[in-house]
Amino acid sequence: MKATSWLGALLLLAMAGATQADDATQKLLDCMRANIPPSLQIKEVELNSTDRSGAERQLKGKVYAARADGLIRVLLRVSRPRDLDGAAYLMREGGAGRSDEIFLYLPAIQRVRKISGASSDGALLGTDFSYNDMKQLQAAFGDTRPALEKPTTLGDRPVEVLSLLPPAGSPSRYSRVLAYVDRQSCTALKAEFFEGKTLRKELSASADSLKRADGYWYLSELLMRDLKENTRTRLKVTGVSGSADELPSRLFDPTSFYRGN
Amino acid sequence: MDTVAWLGGVARRPRTVLAAVAVATVIALLLCVNPVTREVRFQVDPSAEALLPAHDPGRAVLDRVRRTFGIDDPLVIAVRFEPSVYSADHVARIARIADGFRQLPGVTDVHSLANAPNVKAGDDEIDVTSFADQAARDPAVVAQFAADIQANPLYRGTLVSADGSMAAFALTLDALTPKDYLRLGFDARARAVVADVGDASDVYLTGTLPVRAATREALDRTLKRTVPAVFAAIAVLLLATFRSVVAAGSALLSVAIALVWTVASAVLLDIQFNLVSAIVPPLVITIGLSYTVHLLAAHFLSRTVLPNARNSQRAEWVMRRISTGLTLSATTTVIGFLSLLLNPLPAVRGFALLASLGTLYVGALTHLFLPALLNALRCTRETPPIATRLFGRFAAALAEFDLRYRRAIIAAAALLIVIGFTAATRIRGGADFIASFDASARVRQDFEAVAQAFNGANFVTVLIDARVPDALTDPRLIEAIDSFQDWLRAQPEVGAAVSYVDQLKLTNLALNNNEPLHFGIPNDDAAVKQILLFAASDTLNRLIDPQYRSALISVRINVDGSQAIGDFLDRAEARAARLPPSLEARFTGSSVLATRAVEALAAGHLASIAIAVIAIACLLSLMFTSVKAGLVATVPNLVPIAVYFGTLGVLGLPLNPTTSLIACIVLGIAVNDTVHFLARFNSDAREQGKEAGAVRSALNSVLRPITLATACLCLGFLMFTASELNNQVQFGLLGAWTLFVAWIADMTLTPALGSRLRIVTLWDLLRLDLGKSPQHTIPLLSGLSMRQARLFALMSRLERHPAGARIIQEGDLSRDIYVVIDGGVEATVERHEERLVLSTMTRGAVIGETGYFGQRRTASVDSTTPVRLLRFNSQDLERLRERYPAIAATVFRNLNRIQAERIARMTALLK
Repeated sequence: MKATSWLGALLLLAMAGATQADDATQKLLDCMRANIPPSLQIKEVELNSTDRSGAERQLKGKVYAARADGLIRVLLRVSRPRDLDGAAYLMREGGAGRSDEIFLYLPAIQRVRKISGASSDGALLGTDFSYNDMKQLQAAFGDTRPALEKPTTLGDRPVEVLSLLPPAGSPSRYSRVLAYVDRQSCTALKAEFFEGKTLRKELSASADSLKRADGYWYLSELLMRDLKENTRTRLKVTGVSGSADELPSRLFDPTSFYRGN
Repeated sequence: MDTVAWLGGVARRPRTVLAAVAVATVIALLLCVNPVTREVRFQVDPSAEALLPAHDPGRAVLDRVRRTFGIDDPLVIAVRFEPSVYSADHVARIARIADGFRQLPGVTDVHSLANAPNVKAGDDEIDVTSFADQAARDPAVVAQFAADIQANPLYRGTLVSADGSMAAFALTLDALTPKDYLRLGFDARARAVVADVGDASDVYLTGTLPVRAATREALDRTLKRTVPAVFAAIAVLLLATFRSVVAAGSALLSVAIALVWTVASAVLLDIQFNLVSAIVPPLVITIGLSYTVHLLAAHFLSRTVLPNARNSQRAEWVMRRISTGLTLSATTTVIGFLSLLLNPLPAVRGFALLASLGTLYVGALTHLFLPALLNALRCTRETPPIATRLFGRFAAALAEFDLRYRRAIIAAAALLIVIGFTAATRIRGGADFIASFDASARVRQDFEAVAQAFNGANFVTVLIDARVPDALTDPRLIEAIDSFQDWLRAQPEVGAAVSYVDQLKLTNLALNNNEPLHFGIPNDDAAVKQILLFAASDTLNRLIDPQYRSALISVRINVDGSQAIGDFLDRAEARAARLPPSLEARFTGSSVLATRAVEALAAGHLASIAIAVIAIACLLSLMFTSVKAGLVATVPNLVPIAVYFGTLGVLGLPLNPTTSLIACIVLGIAVNDTVHFLARFNSDAREQGKEAGAVRSALNSVLRPITLATACLCLGFLMFTASELNNQVQFGLLGAWTLFVAWIADMTLTPALGSRLRIVTLWDLLRLDLGKSPQHTIPLLSGLSMRQARLFALMSRLERHPAGARIIQEGDLSRDIYVVIDGGVEATVERHEERLVLSTMTRGAVIGETGYFGQRRTASVDSTTPVRLLRFNSQDLERLRERYPAIAATVFRNLNRIQAERIARMTALLK
């Protein structure tokens, strides 16, 4: 699930924990949650990263995601570039009182390594998406301080503005996240990540990239821009299928996630 | 254009002049200061980069590094914890301080123990939590931190000082300028953050930004102090000298206006005030006030010479009297400045342009505005100038000395030139950077404290360029970079050297369960790429680009100053040349650019001086219509230049961005004194017909104003000694010293050399009136061009006599010949108390030639009308033969022809 709607999915999934929202906020969160399938498969995810000098690097792979007992499992398998073919990441949400688990498999090492304390700024495989962003999103959305702000429009589409504040004393990298949620699809078309008062990163998607598969809305193309580093990563997904059926458990097993398809 | 007529026209319209200057000044003020925001429009850029051309290769490399890696020299804040950083409490404080720093304006990143991951690997698990998080989780692990840091090449000597007493915070700042830094009070805020957390004994801030901010502050203070100080010091001098508040105030106002115009020109021409051009304002004031000394002297003289004249007449008289000297002075000064246009550094060229404009402005205002202002203000106070007698006695003694010891003076000057230039061979180009500040300056103390604790506080960036994507994942090339990095670390100047190779090795080690065998470079590029992608982070992105085709080695060096850094760079570049051909290493960073700027300055200054000397010699030759006279006027000015360079060589002072300007500046200014002396000497010599007497009278006339002007200049330069920047202090001291030497040379060597010289200025040549077509109407001048005729006349003496004056007395022994320019004379003899008129003569007649050939005067000659006569003798003709042989030959031929015709006439009469 750390692929396409990586953002969308995480936004939604994490929101499940929101408990102190008012009625309107809760209604929006419920609508967003309805977009989460029990399992998700993306045939191809493509991450095109552009560095400061304008040079591009492409990374392709597949993403599998599932919810088990309300906890997320996400597997990313890299197929391109060839040097990275076979590299795999597995993220398992820890749930209450337990930290997340990240497992890495690099063909060059030929071993699985568990990465702990990885809430660093480390870019995920050189993209503008980082573990930290994901965790911050989770922390923000999973906490109890969502609030609706004044609605606005993105292009011609009316959107609800969801403000997400981390709890005081939280190690969150971001001081605030603003999500612009499409009223029709309950999908976030834009998210702004603030460091203090500074907008550090911006995630955006065109309404044209909104797709529906098996009754679930998702975004087929997203752009994450790091405004400080002046870099960007465009994420595209194809062949998304949401399903009520369970994916094979070996895909999310630390001892076997890197094997086969 | 008829300059004389033009000056007269200007003098007759003082109100127009004053109004025009007032309007121009208001416009200039509006250019300098925004009247709405009251903010100044001119820019101050204290960076060494500002000295380099925009297309400089080193600057281009730095721009590329910034563009590709998004980095600049970090702001380093070192905080001391007693007894050691390594306690859980202190690590927690470090985390809180880092959070506080992160909230400071402009801070985009803070790297410290708080967020630096202390990677732990084992049992197939890699823990990448930060030191601070580890300490918070388990305070006992802090005891291991010192060993962890020591084992990590990325952190060794970077996060914590070698003795463990200081923690470092590297702050990345987003586009914060030195002006912003000062406006925000960043330094105080950063210290307050540490104070709020408590338990830290000392805080030290250093890096390019604080140093630039301190430089900017120092430049600001220097300008704010030196400008009023120069005004004040010279005002006192002017008041003491001329005893007139109005005169001194008018002079100061003229110069202040010139200063405003100069700053407005800087705004219009987009010239920033940097380490070099910051000298311009006090320099313009100093030069301007020295000019006003001459003008005020002439103004007060005009009131004596023309007591009953109208103001406009006096103003015209003053303008004409000073026009030759002032024009020449300003021109030579401007030539001295403009010679710096040859310098490769745009900052120096900007300085040259601005200083030239400033000089032209003060010259023009002194010439045109000040006389009008003085008369408008009715500056009529006529108390006798002070020390006139003293200067008179001194001038007389000096003249005797100069004439008596002429050869010794010339020999001593020649010796000084030889010694000076010989000692100059020991000079090295070089500039102190942090040592430019006084040892007590906080910015220097902070820098030195950090440099001592962390083995260096200057950074050199090495850009490794492989040009091909993924090339830097080739293990063979990585080995070469690693070896180069090892070599760098082995250099005594290097405190630390960090590159992506360190990150690669550390990540490889962690991925392999910390087995020491794997602290190395993987042997295939796919593995390298996988490890680098896994390790991808903002930190790694600052060491290698995402395409893996270029990388940086960040080198911290423990030396400062362009010489030491230049020596290191020379060796490092030689070693870098041995890298594989597919790798190109280029060195950059603020320290490197500053070093290159200083080297470029040193390279350009000799050419500038040579051009200035040649240009001034050519100008003087033109103005004195003789190459010999031009050289004689130039030589005295070589003495201070030689002494200046000799002083640098003997004292071991380096040529730096400011000291390298002194020679050209002083040359341009010092030649003024030479011009003033020679112009006066020329006039007096023509009037008196005796060079020795002219030396006495010229020295008597110019010693006082020249000495006062030199005192003004020296005072102005000495005001720089109040600066907080040592290079400006050096500039002030050396400038004053060199001007003092120039004064001595002009008061001794110039008279000694000039005492045998009759010069003719271009100004004289243009102003001389010999009537219509003298070469056709005066037989002695037949065959000469108008210019040659005037040159001959100026080598002679032009005399005016009223009607009835006795010009030649029969029976006298005298060798002078006369030529009638206009008017009439008659030759008479007295026989038996009877006066017999032999002949009456008008324009073109030659009289007294028999005396020239050694006989007594055979008749008396009296003027019958007011008459102008050209008078010359055998010495004049001999001088003419030496200086202008072609003219002399024609004159001798004409004289022979006149004699022959006269003999033929006499013979015919006898027949």
